[in-house]
Amino acid sequence: MDNDESFNERLMSRRGWRSEFRAAWALSIKTWQIELSYPLSILWFILMPFLWLIPMVLAGSAVSSGANSASLADMTGISDWITYVAIGTALMGLIISTLWGTGMTLRREQNVGTLETLFTTPVGRTTFIWGNGLHNIQHGGLGVILQLGASILIFGVTINAWGIFPALAVVALLVIGMQGVVYAVASIVLVAKQGWMLVEFLGSTLVLLAPLSYPLAVLPPLLQMAAAGSPLSWGADAFRNSLVFGLAAPGLIQSMLMMLLLDAVYLLVGGIVYKTTHRWVRSRGALAQF
Amino acid sequence: MTVVETTGDEGDLSADHTEFKVRSLDWSISKLIALKNLRIALRYPANIIVWGIIPLLWIAPYLLMMTAIGGSAGNTYFSEISGFDDFIRFVVIGWFVYMYVDNSIWGIGNTFRWEQFSGTLEPLFLAPVPRISILLGGAFSDSVQTTISALVLLAFSCLLFGVTYSVTMILPVIIVLLLMLFALFGFGFMLAGLIIVFKDPSVLTELVDAVVFTVTPVNYPIEVLPKYAQVLSYLMPATLAIGIIRELTMTASFEPGSYLLGVLGLLSLLALFWAVGLAVFRYAEHWTKERGSMGGF
Repeated sequence: MDNDESFNERLMSRRGWRSEFRAAWALSIKTWQIELSYPLSILWFILMPFLWLIPMVLAGSAVSSGANSASLADMTGISDWITYVAIGTALMGLIISTLWGTGMTLRREQNVGTLETLFTTPVGRTTFIWGNGLHNIQHGGLGVILQLGASILIFGVTINAWGIFPALAVVALLVIGMQGVVYAVASIVLVAKQGWMLVEFLGSTLVLLAPLSYPLAVLPPLLQMAAAGSPLSWGADAFRNSLVFGLAAPGLIQSMLMMLLLDAVYLLVGGIVYKTTHRWVRSRGALAQF
Repeated sequence: MTVVETTGDEGDLSADHTEFKVRSLDWSISKLIALKNLRIALRYPANIIVWGIIPLLWIAPYLLMMTAIGGSAGNTYFSEISGFDDFIRFVVIGWFVYMYVDNSIWGIGNTFRWEQFSGTLEPLFLAPVPRISILLGGAFSDSVQTTISALVLLAFSCLLFGVTYSVTMILPVIIVLLLMLFALFGFGFMLAGLIIVFKDPSVLTELVDAVVFTVTPVNYPIEVLPKYAQVLSYLMPATLAIGIIRELTMTASFEPGSYLLGVLGLLSLLALFWAVGLAVFRYAEHWTKERGSMGGF
């Protein structure tokens, strides 16, 4: 009994980043275990990056007779359109995995009947979100590596090895910024419950406004202005330029500074929205409602 | 008292039970299921409209990418390989038809999985009615919803991208769409069987959708696919249907010979998909029931 009491006391008095990180890591591993228990998930995980890229490459080859595009070179300085599209869309898996996987975390727990149990544990409320975020960074990150590897082997895409280091820094900044969006998505789910439609809309809009497979110059001026407020727009260009031009990537520092600024704003606003929503939903006793 | 009237040799069974005959296909059940689904769908009318708008966000990246890569010369090259002069019109009508393919994969294929999530799968399976009739009912209601969403998509695309199509060919277009739709029902039955066996619908559905989307000439002409993928593509009813519908709506010309050939091709695929779909579904149902895993997640 004494042991039980001391264990419970220790459990309830747990504090600090280390214990939150341990909880987040446990959540991340738990999600891997669930995903890997479905054999088809593994197959989808391996094939997904190619299945997204191939239709893009086919659509591009319907309007271009070769591997180079004069029009794209004029706008971006990169004439090899397959390299341009392959590197840009590699980020798509990471973004979608983060938005859907992390944003819908609470809804998934609710569907399987574990949300309230999870909320009775002495773990920080935001840890549930970034714990799953940790999983999705691993999941999406492996997808990026798989897609880039396949693009190099199958489509002859070339990358500058020195650019891998700044590209990793860009991905880190991007993930931090997206965490703010994820908090907003989790808030939508807490209030609207079946918030997948809003998540779909938000995710698709972010992808539309980002230069993943086309430069922002082809967007209408109003959308170009909106794109400047998304960390994904800055991140996609900086990621690709790093991998194509290496350490001398044009506009890299400017993009990273902008991402730092946007990350701070997104995280602050997202965090406040999530905490306020969480408190509001609990005060109405609507946490477990479907 | 009704109970007293029906007691006797049949015990407490009512006339509904004693006169009930098991049929291999019961249209009245399909109608009931379709009406039930439509009633639920009408509770959320925004869903149907939104599903007509969200695909715009999926079409736009393809169009923007093709514009960026092709530049001013893009349409010339596209015209050389596809025979059509405007890739934006080409892509929009492709997506309009593909909405039905998406429906056969996400709607019909997942019918029983949605029932499972709602907790109504096992009660539904206890009812002495053919499972195919239930699936068919779901297919009818999904098709009605998809038609509304596809029309919303077409209307918004015409407004946003400034594209126009010939409406004089509406009747042959409807015939082709219906044939494709019925052929896709068979495809949906096959998927429903696979989902009963493999359970996790999101992954299987995503996988099938991604492969079908890649081999179907929605955003690009079939000529850009490798030869083996072209063969696979022609096995999909949507490939033939998209080709015929593009010809009718973009050129406004009707060639009876090639049209009839296309219709015959669709009829053959319809027969093939129903035969394979029903066989796969029945085998999957039998396999799952034998293992007692029908209600498992």
